[in-house]
Amino acid sequence: MSVSAGDNIKLDWERQEDPQRLAAFEARIDAGELVEADDWMPQNYRVGMLRMAEHHANSEIVGALPEGEWITRAPSLKRKLALIAKVQDEVGHGQMLYRVSQDLGKPRDAMLRDLCTGRTKYHNVFNYPAPTWADVAMIQWLVDGAAIMNQKSLADGSYGPYVRTMRRINMEEAFHFKSGEDMVLTLMSGTPRQRRDTQAAFDRWWMPCLMFFGPPDKDSTKTSPFMTWRIKTLTNDTLRQRFVDRFAPAAIDLGLEIKTKQRDASGAIVSDDLVPDELIVHDEASGHYGFTQPDWDEFNRVIRGNGPLNRERVGLRRFSYEQGAWVRRAVLGQTCGLPLAN
Amino acid sequence: MGLSSKRTGIPTYEHPDRLSDNPEGDLRAYEVFVQTERGKPHTHCGSVDAADDAMALQFAREHYGRDQACVQVWVCPRDAMIRTDYDKDLVFRLTDQSYRFAKGYNVGAKWREFRAQRDYEDYRKEDIKEHF
Repeated sequence: MSVSAGDNIKLDWERQEDPQRLAAFEARIDAGELVEADDWMPQNYRVGMLRMAEHHANSEIVGALPEGEWITRAPSLKRKLALIAKVQDEVGHGQMLYRVSQDLGKPRDAMLRDLCTGRTKYHNVFNYPAPTWADVAMIQWLVDGAAIMNQKSLADGSYGPYVRTMRRINMEEAFHFKSGEDMVLTLMSGTPRQRRDTQAAFDRWWMPCLMFFGPPDKDSTKTSPFMTWRIKTLTNDTLRQRFVDRFAPAAIDLGLEIKTKQRDASGAIVSDDLVPDELIVHDEASGHYGFTQPDWDEFNRVIRGNGPLNRERVGLRRFSYEQGAWVRRAVLGQTCGLPLAN
Repeated sequence: MGLSSKRTGIPTYEHPDRLSDNPEGDLRAYEVFVQTERGKPHTHCGSVDAADDAMALQFAREHYGRDQACVQVWVCPRDAMIRTDYDKDLVFRLTDQSYRFAKGYNVGAKWREFRAQRDYEDYRKEDIKEHF
């Protein structure tokens, strides 16, 4: 194995690539061709793609944790079966994406270990708690909705193995999203308490979902090599606006109120108490919905490991990794322990 | 804070950057092919990592065979597959290969010509019979 850990897989913008090969590579990307695992690619393309695929894989694995907690408490057999299937799908996506990442040069075990020790990240949104069943519905509707929006754009990317995996994943995400929509509709047509719980869950997930697409674009985003190489195909702000345009009218339709943190006249956040977001208005001229930006200070706190559940999520992943060591040893021992008979 | 904080038995770690055991090597990569219906071709759909063939087949069934109609799964160790090189091997020549395809043969025009010639010959025979 050429690479023993993740530490030496770094972006290096000083690196000089063979100009002829680079030009041929970029021409292929411009022509809409897909790059395959064995093809020549610039080192920064490989590293950028690996980081994205690994982060995505981590997110699928950790993303299964908040929902997994609810399997034993699902309100009906049908919901329980669907939730088990969804959690299984997410873990499966994680496995497929680790496989894609391995071919980009990082061993699988190094990725699992880096996740357990906090060297690599997963999606911020999974550091928030899911205290009620309505949160499970909200995760499947809003978070999976945001994920589909993001992944649809990634399915237009340039790295063949990732793109094909993304198309497959999107088929399965469509079921998660529909089942979430079904749950939210059920809850919002239920008792006053169910509707209250759903509003409370919506309040917990709306802003983390706005943050889901990452920090606001810098001026340089559109010309970043990751955009020209089509590792990313749409900017964070474009995707965020798409999400709002899709989900703000749906939430209003369902009778949910969209809220934001309380701010003073200068726009500074004065309290964590939520007030209705006055900017949620459809603008006829642009065709878009307005919205108030989420609390980016909170985003930065959570991403540095100080979110509500960062320690628990990583702790549980690590717990099961360490508890599973004997299984891995047994499996590996079986194949490499016995000499071949001849 | 919901169920997560009530879960017991999850240790907190003094040294979060040190794990108790050593890293392991990669397993073997297998390519996965699924057949969605009997009689249809098997299609490549991705790959899995496994320690042996039986485990590869089990993983492939779980990851690729569950969420779509599927009647058969094939797995094949990647290093056992022989393949061409995109750059070095030209698999399909770009010269005129119309002779390889049905559409490369315009038999309609030939039939028309053939029938016209036959009709002409028949007419000529009749003509000769009549006059001599």
